[in-house]
Amino acid sequence: MSNRNNFVFKGLLIVAWVIFVGLCIEAGGLIVNFIFSLFKPEFVQNLYQKIDLTEMYKDNKWAFFGIYSFILSISILKAFLFYIVIRLMHKMDLTKPFNTFVSNHILQISYYTLSIGLFSFFARKVAKNLMHHGFVTDSLNQFWVDSQAFILMGAVIYIIATIFKKGVDIQNENDLTV
Amino acid sequence: MAIIVNLDVMMAKRKMSLNELSEKVGLTLSNLSILKTGKAKAIRFSTLESICDVLNCQPGDILEYTNDE
Repeated sequence: MSNRNNFVFKGLLIVAWVIFVGLCIEAGGLIVNFIFSLFKPEFVQNLYQKIDLTEMYKDNKWAFFGIYSFILSISILKAFLFYIVIRLMHKMDLTKPFNTFVSNHILQISYYTLSIGLFSFFARKVAKNLMHHGFVTDSLNQFWVDSQAFILMGAVIYIIATIFKKGVDIQNENDLTV
Repeated sequence: MAIIVNLDVMMAKRKMSLNELSEKVGLTLSNLSILKTGKAKAIRFSTLESICDVLNCQPGDILEYTNDE
């Protein structure tokens, strides 16, 4: 592999690490927010992103827990997605990239991306529905605004992963042909 | 697998070692070992021809079909 490609790969690895750390902080912050909004709601104004859903909690606990479970699962899934990306980039041997480990990881990445997209899509629908019932969910749009992009990206990665898996199978068969 | 490779039987009959066969056939030891242990997924006609030529036998002496069920 050329030096330029190696340089680009290392750069992408650093970017992936930065995104992973950022997503972990976001997920952690949201979990802390959730705990505080249950036990000490007045303190939420000082916390990460100031997501104050105490009104919703008072009016409808199901809506509150539903929305928070969507927010938390989406942010945790995003962090886990980048954990898999980093693990793949660390363990991948660029001189021999076509093996079962890489194909399984790419497939996993596609599953997580698709799940994030679908979760975001349903969350957006639920939030829209809650707006009709008088709840204010505008501040939460940032969590599921990119649902379609994730679904599209997941579908594309799934297709690539399937082709990659078939390629690995063919290579394994070729290696075992004498 | 339903196809059994009897290469070791033929080698024993011809009193030929794996090293000797590898040299005469022109296959690497690792590839011959894959074939002998039954891990191979496929065998080229050219390889089969060379093995039959060296061991002076028929393909049926090396490959055998058994019904797994």
